[in-house]
Order: sequence, then C-alpha cells, then structure tokens
Amino acid sequence: MTKPSNISAEPVTKIVIVGGGTAGWMAAAALSKVLAGTPGLSINLVESDAIGTVGVGEATIPQISSFNGLLGIDEHDFVRQTHATYKLGIEFVDWTRVGHSYVHPFGSFGLDMLGVEFHHFWLRGKAEGHNSELSDYSIAAMAAKSGKFMHPEHGNPKSALSKLGYAFQFDAALYAKYLRKIAEGAGVKRTEGRVVSVEQHQETGFVTGVTLENGETIAGQLFIDCSGFRSLLLGQTLGVEFVDWTHLLPCDRAVAIPCSLVSETDPITRSTARPAGWQWRIPLQHRIGNGHVYSSAYMSEDEATSILLGNLDGEPLADPNHLRFAAGYRAKAWEKNVVGLGLAAGFLEPLESTAIHLVQAGIARLMTLFPTSSFSQVEIDQYNTENAQDYLDIRDFLLLHYIATERDDSDFWNTCRNLEPPEGLARKLAMFRSSGRIIREHNELFTEASWLAVMMGQGIEPGGWHPAVRALDTEETLKRLDHIRHVISNTASQMPTHAEFLKANRSAIDPS
Amino acid sequence: MQFCNNRKRAKAMSEKNDSDISRIVFVGGGTAGWMAAAAFSKYFDNGRRSFTLIESDAIGTVGVGEATIPPIANFNHMLDISESEFLRATNGTFKLGIEFVDWGQIGDRYFHPFGEYGQDLHGIAFHQLYLREHARGATGKGKNQEKLGDIANYSMSSMAARHGKFGRAKPDAKSLIRQIGYAYHFDAGLYAKFLRQRAEKQGTKRCEGKIASAQRDPETGDIISVTLESGEVISGDLFVDCSGFRGLLIEDSLQTGYEDWSHWLPVDRAIALPCANPTDLDPYTRSTAHSAGWQWRIPLQHRTGNGHVFCSSYMEADEAEKILRENLEGEPVGEARHLRFLTGMRRKAWSQNVIALGLSSGFIEPLESTSIHLIQNGIARLFALFPDKQISSIERDEYNRGMRELFEDIRDFIILHYKATQRDDSEFWRYVRDMDIPETLHKKIELWRLHGRVFRENAELFTTPSWVAVMLGQNIWPRRHDPIADTLDEEKVALAMSQMREAYERTAEQMPTQIEFLKQSGSWASA
Repeated sequence: MTKPSNISAEPVTKIVIVGGGTAGWMAAAALSKVLAGTPGLSINLVESDAIGTVGVGEATIPQISSFNGLLGIDEHDFVRQTHATYKLGIEFVDWTRVGHSYVHPFGSFGLDMLGVEFHHFWLRGKAEGHNSELSDYSIAAMAAKSGKFMHPEHGNPKSALSKLGYAFQFDAALYAKYLRKIAEGAGVKRTEGRVVSVEQHQETGFVTGVTLENGETIAGQLFIDCSGFRSLLLGQTLGVEFVDWTHLLPCDRAVAIPCSLVSETDPITRSTARPAGWQWRIPLQHRIGNGHVYSSAYMSEDEATSILLGNLDGEPLADPNHLRFAAGYRAKAWEKNVVGLGLAAGFLEPLESTAIHLVQAGIARLMTLFPTSSFSQVEIDQYNTENAQDYLDIRDFLLLHYIATERDDSDFWNTCRNLEPPEGLARKLAMFRSSGRIIREHNELFTEASWLAVMMGQGIEPGGWHPAVRALDTEETLKRLDHIRHVISNTASQMPTHAEFLKANRSAIDPS
Repeated sequence: MQFCNNRKRAKAMSEKNDSDISRIVFVGGGTAGWMAAAAFSKYFDNGRRSFTLIESDAIGTVGVGEATIPPIANFNHMLDISESEFLRATNGTFKLGIEFVDWGQIGDRYFHPFGEYGQDLHGIAFHQLYLREHARGATGKGKNQEKLGDIANYSMSSMAARHGKFGRAKPDAKSLIRQIGYAYHFDAGLYAKFLRQRAEKQGTKRCEGKIASAQRDPETGDIISVTLESGEVISGDLFVDCSGFRGLLIEDSLQTGYEDWSHWLPVDRAIALPCANPTDLDPYTRSTAHSAGWQWRIPLQHRTGNGHVFCSSYMEADEAEKILRENLEGEPVGEARHLRFLTGMRRKAWSQNVIALGLSSGFIEPLESTSIHLIQNGIARLFALFPDKQISSIERDEYNRGMRELFEDIRDFIILHYKATQRDDSEFWRYVRDMDIPETLHKKIELWRLHGRVFRENAELFTTPSWVAVMLGQNIWPRRHDPIADTLDEEKVALAMSQMREAYERTAEQMPTQIEFLKQSGSWASA
C-alpha cells in the first residue's frame, strides 16, 4: 500500500479570523497557542469597534475549565478579571408547572452501589415511602442552595466533594478582552475595520481574502468565520444552508438587561419560565445579567420587555438590548476553506448555557482535523458530521424542557407540550418512563446525571427501577439513603460561602 | 418432576414481587453459560430467585477462545476472583498483545500491544510524533532513522513481550510499567469449571441432560419451559441461550435469523491441536497468516494451544491440518479437533424472553480474541437492562442495538487485517485484498491515510493505539502526519523519543520473565 511519504501538502500558515467577540478571541487565543512554533505562522483577526458583539452567553458549563487549562489560564486570575462567579448548576422555576422549581446541578448524584446507578435506589426508596428530593443527593445542588462553594476533590473518591462539578458565570466582553491579551501576546495581529467584500478563487470558490472599508485586503489560506448571526463568509459568501429548527424551538427573540446586585451572589444560574418563553438570571460579581427569551409569534416586544423589567432584583444598569435569532445551525460548519464558529455556525437558546461550549468544541475539532493546503473533503465531512451531532444532541436536551411540561396556561406552552419529540429523544423518554433507565449515546455532551435531573425535574414519572436494587432489603436501602443524604448535607454545611471562597483565593474584584 | 428447581427458595416466594423475573434458566454450560451463571447468581440473588443451568456432559464445548483482551480483568474483579487463584486454576498466563506474522507481506512481523504508545507531547498524540520522525527520516532530514525503528519500540507491552518479560507497577509508582496493558491466556474448559464452582456455591442449580424440546406460550410466543430427554420439564421466566453455534432456543425455537458476514470474513473452519510447551512462555498470542487463513499459538502454563483457521473454499481440511502440524513448536497433545462456523451475527441477540450469549449470538473469528469479551459485554449489558417479567421492548431493543454496535465494531477491526494486505500469493489473499468493505471501515482507512488520524465512534472497543498498530503493522502509511505535529521543535521531539526508547528498553530488561513472575506471584499451577 502507500509508502511512507514526504511532506508534499503544504501546511496552512495564514489564518484569518473574521470577527472578534467571544468566538473570535477564543479561536485566536487557542490557535496561537496550539500552532505556536509553526514556521511562517500568521494569525490575523479582523474586527470593527463599530460593530457590537452579542455576548449574552455569560453562563457556561464545566468543560470551559479544560479550554482555559489549554491556554494556561490561572483560574483565580480569570475569575477576577472577568468579574466571574462560580456556577454549580441551573435552577428551573415554573417550568414544570407554575410554583414548581428544580435544580439541574453539575456533577453526579449520590453513590452508585452494586454496579447500579444511584438513582435506582432512590426511586425504590421513594416508592417505599422515603421522603427525599433528588437534589438532596447532589453536593452541587446542596451547596448552591446555601450559597456555598469550594473546589471538588477528585482525588478523594470517598468524599462527597468528589461528585461536585462547576462552571463559571462571567462577563463575556471581559472574557473576550482577557483572551485578546493572551492572543496578542502570542503574536495574533488585530486589524481594525469593517469587511466590505470577500474575494474568492475563480475556479475553486475558496476564499482568498477579505477587503476592508479602507481598501486593504487581508489574504489567507484558512478563514474562521466569527461574524455572528450575519455569517458573513459561511452563509453570505459561500451560501451554506441554514437548517431552521424554529418549529421545534419557537423562541426567536431575546431582550437583555443588566441590573444591580442587591445581596450576595449565588453560585447558580436561574431560569424562570414565562408565558411565552423564559427569563435568565446570571449573577456576576458586579451585577446581575438578565434576559427574557421569547417567541415573537406568541408575545410582543413591549410585553416581553415589561415582563423582564418587572422581574429584576435590582436597578436596571442599561437600556434593554433587543436580539433576534432563529434556532438552528449551518448544514456545514466547514465549507471549502471557511470554518464557522459561534453564532456564524448556528444558534441554540442559552437555556443550558451551551453557546460558549459549542465554540470550544468547534475549536477542539478544528485542531484535531487541522487541514493542510490540500483541504481534504474526507476530513471536512468528518468535521461537519460531528458538529451536526453536537447541535442535535443539545437541541434534544433543550427540547426536553419544553416538551415535558404540565403547563397549559398559554398558547405557547400548549404548543410546546404537544410537540412530537424527535426519534432520539423519544427513545430516551420511553426508556426512562418504562424503567427509570437513561440511555446516553456517542459521548454526548450531557451526562446521565443531567438527563436524570431534568427528566425528574420536569415531572416525568419512571415506571420502575433497576431490578438489581432489590439485592438490598428495604431497611438497608432506606438506611443507606439516609446516610448518603446526611454526608452530603454535612459536607455542604462545612463549605465556605461563595463570597468567602472568592476572597480567600483573591479572585474577588475590588469593590470600589 | 421439578428436581432441578430450587426448593430452598420456595419459602421466600411469599414476599415475591409478581412483576419480578424469578426463574432464570441458562441453556448450555461452556464458557458462556458458566460466566453468565456466575455473574447473575452473584448479583441478582434477592433470595427469591432461582438460577438453573442445563448442560450435558455428552455435548462437547467449543472453548477455543483461550486468549482474551484486557477488560476480562474487570469481569473477574466483579466476581471477586483473585488473579493468582484464577491463573492457577486455569493454567493461565499473561498476554501483552498479539504478534502478527506474514500478514502484510510474507516475512512481515508486527505486534499489536495492549496499552498505550509512548507519551504525548503538548497534547499531540504520540503516534503523530512517530509519523513525523519517520517522515523526516525518509526525506533524509532525520539523523536517527535507524534508531527510530518500529513503533513497537515505544510500547511498554511490546518491549516486555519482545524480551519475554512481564511486570506490573505498584499502584503509586511513576514507572513506565504503568503503561503496560495485559490480558490472559487460559484453558477455557478449566475456566468454565472454575466459574461453575462459584456459581454452584452461589446457588445455581446444575441440571445434567440434553434438551429434547422447548415449549412456547401460544399467546406471547415466549419460551415457558424446556423438556429434557429424561422427560423432566424445567420452566423459567428468562432463558439465556448458551447452546453454542446451534442456537437451540434463539434459532431452533424462535427462528431469529442469522446475518451472514462471510463475504467479508470468509474463513469458515478451524482445526485445533494443542502441543507441548517449549522451555519459555511467551507472554503474547501469535497469529501467523497461511495461504487460506491463519494459525494461532497460545502459550498456557502446561501446553500451547494451536489452531488453524481457514476458508474451505480455498483449502481442503487435510491440507489445513498438515500445515498446522508442520507449524507446531512442540509434540502434539491429543487429537486434532475440527470445527465449522459461519461468521456473522444473530439478527437479534435478545428475542422474546431469550437472550443469546456466546456463539449462539454470533461468531467473529478469534483473530483479536474477542469471543469472551462479547460474552462479558452481553452479561454487563443484560445486567444494565435486566427486565421485569413483563419484558419491555424498549429495553430489549436497546440491548440489541448495543450488541449490534459492538459486533460491527469488532467486525470492522478484524476485516482491516485482511483488507490491508499486500499478499498476492494465493486466491484467498487476492480475494480479501480486493473485496468491498463496510462503509464505516472504509471511512476509517481514508481518514487514516490522509493524516494518520483515528476517529473512534461511540464507545468503540478498540482504542486508538490498536488501530495505529494494525494500520502501520500492515503497511498503511498516512500520506502525511498531522500538521499540528509540525509545531513542535524537531530536535526536542527527537530527543524525547530517544529517551522514551531507552527507558522502555531498560524497564523491560529489568522485569522478570513470564515464568518468574507467575511463580513469584503464586500463580503457577504446578507449584
């Protein structure tokens, strides 16, 4: 077969990133780090101060730590510089029905026993009259409830803290600024200006350069499209189709506004369902981010804005910022020599804080499949297949929140409740309803614990539990449940408060 | 006449939950039957459940699957089996991987090791560093080309195997020995016997006899009982069919159907013949390609297992046996046994209330020692999806989906060994070299050829190092290494690699031999 060869295909060394914002600077910082040492490397980021960034994705999921780790970022410095808080999960209010709430915590629940997942024991205990909530068995949920935080102890599997997971809530604009410093320090060149035209190779259609208002053309071999909803290169220039999921996820607008803090911040994001959507509350160190995501088919902009303004903890700190979007993704996030990242590649509402993760996953995948100048289609296809799967997995998880509701107090909820779940989600729901079992496929982003939290939280009743749990008799089962609950609540009570933790690690911002 | 049913448990039946499976019947002993019985009677005994295994001493077991892959240790661990006790009881030895001889071309040799290759640098996979150094050498830029050598130089398991050594790190040690990956070779007949003792101690009732017929519920179609030749009737709620190729319940009764893969894996016969041991015990399996198949060599403590797997359309049994005998490394022990099979899988491993385990669920040739793993995985999966008496099709479908995925993953990996040959010396090799392959494998090879990248889908059994070992071993070199690997300084990489090479070599030399290790750890059977 093929003999070991040579280095015939030229390496790609000229990279142009179109658009700053979170996606652009994340890509710039990561590429400049990983590709450092490539002879002749140039990374050019074009952005215009005149174009605003969206940056509503201020809440994240735990994977963000590995991205920051790759860049060699010190966590405490990052927390201080981006005015960040720790996040232990999301509290969902009024989603299942008005007046109800549940937590989707990071990390895992209880303790697996006899090779069977913990929740089966809990389900059985509940059936035998044990009075406890699922969240009693999550160290993250219990800590969040009392405003506590500390790092997990992964090295100590006997500690309840080994099951804790965490992410951050931060100011996305400050994060972009923070990454910009890293990227520029690593040799990324920033060019100020607005792109007015895109140059393409006559035969291949590959993008060869972008031309700015001042007439300057920036040439490159690989273009990363971080231009936001506009999708300047991927959508507008290359005409890559947008797959619209509005029929499944009807929310298409958001209005965002920060407000002042009135008390100590909690290490948790809150999502409160509204008659035609939901409202986020993301506490940072210096303010609270708020926003109302809604469907314009069911609610006017004025009404959505007034609901938001009527539900703020503190004084508004800016004018309401109105956003329009559609749920969906670009059928090909990589086409020819253009890779789209962030909103240029697709959009899923921030209900589970996945926006920044999708950027991160796209960057990691680009690293894994980094091209040579010959841009092989097999590798591009692999990128697009995996990328589409990511969007699909997250979409299904979001859909679960809407489909599994008892709410019938508005047309919006009536529509959502009656949506037909797509095949994968339908299978997961059927399995859980039948026996309390959770199927997780192809290393999908959300873990068994996440599916469990949301399925239980949204009121789906499992029809049974794993038969092997009967190897413990009732008394022993209840005894163990009590013990685990006790250890977790005890551990949580001994943790420092979130504010104390920030202070102790000098990651609190200067209050002045 | 329910002699085989467990009266002892009858008392407990009063508190029994009606929806519970209370009677599990294993049809057939052998490796699959006793593995399943040992696992289920340990973990699913709630005091109200009976476990019955029916086997006949008159029916032989196949049990050629004497070599395993590393997950077997988890299975033994789950049953609280001590390694040394297990090795003593089964005449077991350690296995560090498989040596493939004459597969790419006649005269070629490569090692598919367990465990990892080398050490990644700055997040770049080791094999990419290796490919890059190799390319530098090929273009005359590298000074260390001769020293770079085979990728086996960078695997702890390969190096230990090369020296006939075996060792294990202490749990907290930082030594390179930590990278060693291993499984076992053992006498499958003795393993079944060993597990039988445990299963019986845990309350499994063994019933001697041949099954004459099976009775089905006319409404649901489920199997309700089997009748032995003696007339005895054994009823059950759940039947685990471990009856071998025949598929007594899954096929004879339920007619589930079989998916034939012989167009991809055309071998259909095997001849097994053990022989006396040489003085040393190599800690690895050897697979030597012949003109219409291949020969295994599996060293145990007391003898060496050998077998010739071949395709009857290209070779007569007499010739195959002659080739086998000519290639034994010691005096034959006993008679040669001839086996027939058809590669493929049962359309559904779980149908109605019958779960097929082992050969009744399908057969992929033992080239990568996956037979016992398929049993183990089926048990683990059934464990996770264990049904109530009212079996839910959702759980059954999930089981079948998962088993199919595993079968297909293994199938693709095995096909790779045949497809990626340059042999041109027989009709058989020309057929497999030119045959069409599944799209999933085709894509894997394409991606590898471009930049040496390996994409594992789902929770695929074979890891990246396994794919790398076989691709390179069979001479599929990528056109180019991953461009990201070019970001590392050439001299630093060369230095790091030469240090790794020396460290693996030194570490391997210091390990005890396989026999020394077995004796030192109290695992030697005839102590």
